[in-house]
Amino acid sequence: MLIKIPSAANLGLETIKVDVEVNLANRGLPGFEIVGLPDKAVDESKERVRAAILSSGIEFPAKKITVNLAPADIPKEGSFYDLPIALGILDSVLQFEIPEESLFFGELSLDGSLRHTKGAFLFALFAKEKGFENLFVPKDSANEAAVIKGIKVFPVENLFQLVSHFLKRKLINQAVYKEPEDRLPIPAEFDMREILGQEQAKRAAEISAAGGHNIIMVGSPGSGKTMLARALPGIMPPLSEEESLEVTKIYSIAGNIPPGGSVISYRQFRAPHHTASPVGLIGGGTRPHPGEISLAHRGVLFLDEFNEFPRQVMEAMRQPLEDGYLTISRSKEIVRYPADFMLVASANPCPCGYFNHPKKNCVCTPRQIRKYQKRISGPILDRIDLHVIVQPVDIEEFSENQKASESLESSGIIRERAILAREIQKKRFNGESIQSNAQMKNSHIKKYCKLTKEVEQLLKQASMKFQLSARSYMKMIKVARTIADLEKAPEITVSHMAEALQYRSKIYESI
Amino acid sequence: MSQFKSVEVKPQQEHLEVGKVGENIARGYLEKKGYKIIEQNYKTKYAEIDLVAKKGNELVFVEVRTKKGENFGTPEETINRKKLNKLWGNAKAYAAWKKWQGPYHIDAICIVLGYNNTIERLNHYENIV
Repeated sequence: MLIKIPSAANLGLETIKVDVEVNLANRGLPGFEIVGLPDKAVDESKERVRAAILSSGIEFPAKKITVNLAPADIPKEGSFYDLPIALGILDSVLQFEIPEESLFFGELSLDGSLRHTKGAFLFALFAKEKGFENLFVPKDSANEAAVIKGIKVFPVENLFQLVSHFLKRKLINQAVYKEPEDRLPIPAEFDMREILGQEQAKRAAEISAAGGHNIIMVGSPGSGKTMLARALPGIMPPLSEEESLEVTKIYSIAGNIPPGGSVISYRQFRAPHHTASPVGLIGGGTRPHPGEISLAHRGVLFLDEFNEFPRQVMEAMRQPLEDGYLTISRSKEIVRYPADFMLVASANPCPCGYFNHPKKNCVCTPRQIRKYQKRISGPILDRIDLHVIVQPVDIEEFSENQKASESLESSGIIRERAILAREIQKKRFNGESIQSNAQMKNSHIKKYCKLTKEVEQLLKQASMKFQLSARSYMKMIKVARTIADLEKAPEITVSHMAEALQYRSKIYESI
Repeated sequence: MSQFKSVEVKPQQEHLEVGKVGENIARGYLEKKGYKIIEQNYKTKYAEIDLVAKKGNELVFVEVRTKKGENFGTPEETINRKKLNKLWGNAKAYAAWKKWQGPYHIDAICIVLGYNNTIERLNHYENIV
């Protein structure tokens, strides 16, 4: 007797249909075989399914069971075939009717209950796209799947409950989407108000949050680079609904959505340590997995001590920085992950950290400094829009400022401004495939950033003087556009451009 | 030491006894079904075949598995891939040795015994390799 249970397989962010075919043969020695290129996790599902069925109080059939995952030539991975396989076996024993257009997915526990399984969101998207009406998922993953409207999501607690549902003894109630409680942004570690002085750096942070521009901060130890970066989530505008679905897709496939969780509703702040491996940061592996840069999609990727990152890791970021996505090619599959993130980097000027310090002496040799500064390559620096030197804090000023910190702008106020600037951008790029100024391509710049003669003159002069590359030239226009947006100005004026050019200060002086 | 009192020390040979009982049961079962038994417990230096029978013009090698009660696993579970390979090799060797030219196949008979060697169930699986 042959039973066919529909399920699916995730290849990167794409989902394809997989039919789980279960055959119980009366001939041959009893056994349990899974074919169709299963990996270790799928193959071990035999043991889970057997134990789960027995724990549910149903006798495991002593027959030759063959499970085929069709199409047979695509490698299957993951633990979510447990439910379709178990259901197929139970169906051939108990002979209940499974409604058509149903999709099954879930990992079984040995006691017959279903565990939170990664990828529920993608399954729900797939179900809707392909016209499936019912989706049966583990209870803990139901909220994640129920985000998608137009399909019936059934939260399944255990195998027994599912069987009772199909035998029409006790029906499972459809899942109702529960809005996540944390619609508000996660509170940042620091409020901008806590950072004293550093007005220029704070302004640069505001611009980068408003336009999604990459930023690098260079300064001596203790000047507040890390604090500024950690305060950034507090001033980032919230994710739009569309963006939030994009991010949720990546988090769902990476298994980063907690049980009972649903969409990712705020911008993510990822801060990997500099010992991260290239694959961990960029993504990859034999079965390509999203890396930190993809997890920071539409959010912030903070690389503290930028110089300390291995060169290979740094250079691998070049292409995603430019394109906003990453294509991972492996012999068995090619996967494309979105990676449109805002890079926030911080670095010291030299190994001892006090090069160009107004009061302290640098003890590094010129050779050491050159070697240190060379670790950040030109191509990477060229792709970063805002270069900021964070000046060391004067202790006298600092203690005085401490009393006045109440009068400083809080993150909330800065955030409001950034949100307004983003709204202007959203209106501007209505109908385009981009959302923020930083994503503009040359054609967009031509269309939306018409420069007056004076502004163009200024930019030309500056480019000659600083020897800006063609890319930097374009980046300056983008930054000026964001500054103008922050002031709600329709045109880029000379003062906007002049301010933008300030953030192209040579952070690393040649010695 | 009192808690060990009820434990009965079984003679080493008991599992062999069970096997022998099972083999005899299987033999009787096959004979009733019209098989002609050629060998029982065929042994060489390398191999052991529980039963060799003839059904029509086909040679049948039978592996008999016997268990007393199913509390510690079913007899079917004890036939793993390694054993299947061995059975196949033994069958081939036997056929070659006896210069058998006709078709042959391998069956398994799984027997579960209850107390006093009563038969709880007997399953005959044909052509298992």
